Amino acid sequence: MAQYLPVLLLLALSTVFAALSFVASSLLAPRKRPTAAKVAPYECGIVPDVEPPQRFPVRFYLVAMIFIIFDIEIVFLYPWAVTYRELGTFGLVEVLVFAAIVFVSFVYLVSNGALDWGPAKRLRVAMGERTTESTVARVGPEGGPRAGRAA
Amino acid sequence: MSAAVAHLALDPLYGSGVHWAELLIAVIKVVVAFGVLLVSVMLMIWFERKVISDMQARIGPNRAGPFGILQTLADGIKLFFKEDLLPERADRFVFKLAPYLSLVPAFVAFSIVPVGGIVTVAHHTFELQVADPPIGILLLLAVSSISVYGVMLAGWSSGSKYPLLGSVRASAQMVSYEAALGMTVIMVVLLGHSLSTRDIVVGQSHTFFASWNLIRTGVVPFFLFVVAITAELNRPPFDLVEAEQELVGGFHTEYASIRFAMFFLAEFMNTITMSAIIVTLFLGGPDGPRFHFVSWLWPILWFLGKTLLFLFTYVWFRAALPRLRYDQLMDLGWKLLIPLSLGWTLVVAAFLVSGWWGVGVIVALFVAGGLLARSVHVGTARRRELGEELA
Repeated sequence: MAQYLPVLLLLALSTVFAALSFVASSLLAPRKRPTAAKVAPYECGIVPDVEPPQRFPVRFYLVAMIFIIFDIEIVFLYPWAVTYRELGTFGLVEVLVFAAIVFVSFVYLVSNGALDWGPAKRLRVAMGERTTESTVARVGPEGGPRAGRAA
Repeated sequence: MSAAVAHLALDPLYGSGVHWAELLIAVIKVVVAFGVLLVSVMLMIWFERKVISDMQARIGPNRAGPFGILQTLADGIKLFFKEDLLPERADRFVFKLAPYLSLVPAFVAFSIVPVGGIVTVAHHTFELQVADPPIGILLLLAVSSISVYGVMLAGWSSGSKYPLLGSVRASAQMVSYEAALGMTVIMVVLLGHSLSTRDIVVGQSHTFFASWNLIRTGVVPFFLFVVAITAELNRPPFDLVEAEQELVGGFHTEYASIRFAMFFLAEFMNTITMSAIIVTLFLGGPDGPRFHFVSWLWPILWFLGKTLLFLFTYVWFRAALPRLRYDQLMDLGWKLLIPLSLGWTLVVAAFLVSGWWGVGVIVALFVAGGLLARSVHVGTARRRELGEELA
């Protein structure tokens, strides 16, 4: 276990370093009550009128789930990689069978379009043609219909 | 018991138990590594700014210290004096926790990197690396996945739109490339018969260059690894996490003052650590010709030289390559890197068993490659059809 001692020491030292930095910052930094605008979510000065999205494209979750398949495969491959000499042909055949099974499921996922990312066509149709007029809102006295909304 | 298990390298320092002297050496190692890391991050940031400005025909920082070398220190001190903001929508605990989760793994990951040979000081023989646990590579993978949490929780807890988008992108990206990363490292483990980084380095040190894993694994895994690492680090051209044009500053938009500096520090420290890891796994670590005068110094110089090469490459990437689109990034990761690294691993393993197995696996892989290409085609077409029907 002594081999892990320096790792633990480094872990402790870096945690202490981070904690002390925060303490130093809180001592040195100006302590005044920030204005409401300062603590509001930063959106480049535009007053936010939409809540941060609570739901995300399911594709992101899908990636996380598919990752599990490969992560488990990797977890199984490491012990074999360390001892492949002892296992020899037997180990290789086992790993080939295992890899083939994982590969079949991967091919199934890919052929279902599970890992296909570009925007779905329906979204592109629903959005309509994108032009400068439709995407850039003008601000100021001669601004378009969006200009008065934030006020 | 075979030779593979017998020479499981462990730091000889702890061979006779841990007494005060051993503890002192361990503490000195840790403190030196800590200090060197902090200073090298400082220099790395300066180096990056200076090289990039040269590549863009600018001058870059040149006021603080000679050639502006103290610019980073000045910036760091400045950040201590900046107002620390806590956004009203933030989850206070997680918001404060995230910088730790980013910074601490960055330090710990460096502990397994062998920076030099084995030295003897005052009858104590020890390895020039912070720690040499028998599961070094697993420790590295575990620690680097913890840093995903830092990025993810930072974005999530900010309670703001752009950080959230940045962190969701980041977690999908880092998770995808971690699979390719883990798969490539398996080849190195296959050739080194060990998870200890010291064993891996020693196994590459027979002849200069020809015995490095770069050559022994057949060059391709090295490039796969560099691409996967670059994506894992969120360095350009894979820096979609903080794509300024779309996401303001990405996952750390809401962070100010020293909390922001911690993320910055962690990012550059990870760059340094991962360059060192590439050198360790594929370029023989501190391996290189050494000469008789101050013979302990040469491995360290070789290690530093090789690492510097990769640090320069990362800066070069940033100056030269445009950022990928998100679908390109995911396609590259899932449809090229992961299948290729898995296939190459099987080929390397088969050739280690016998030549005929190797040929057989190569033939099987060509069939599998054709199958995969066809399934990509079918998948894209199906999704397009689905889109049209719904429209």
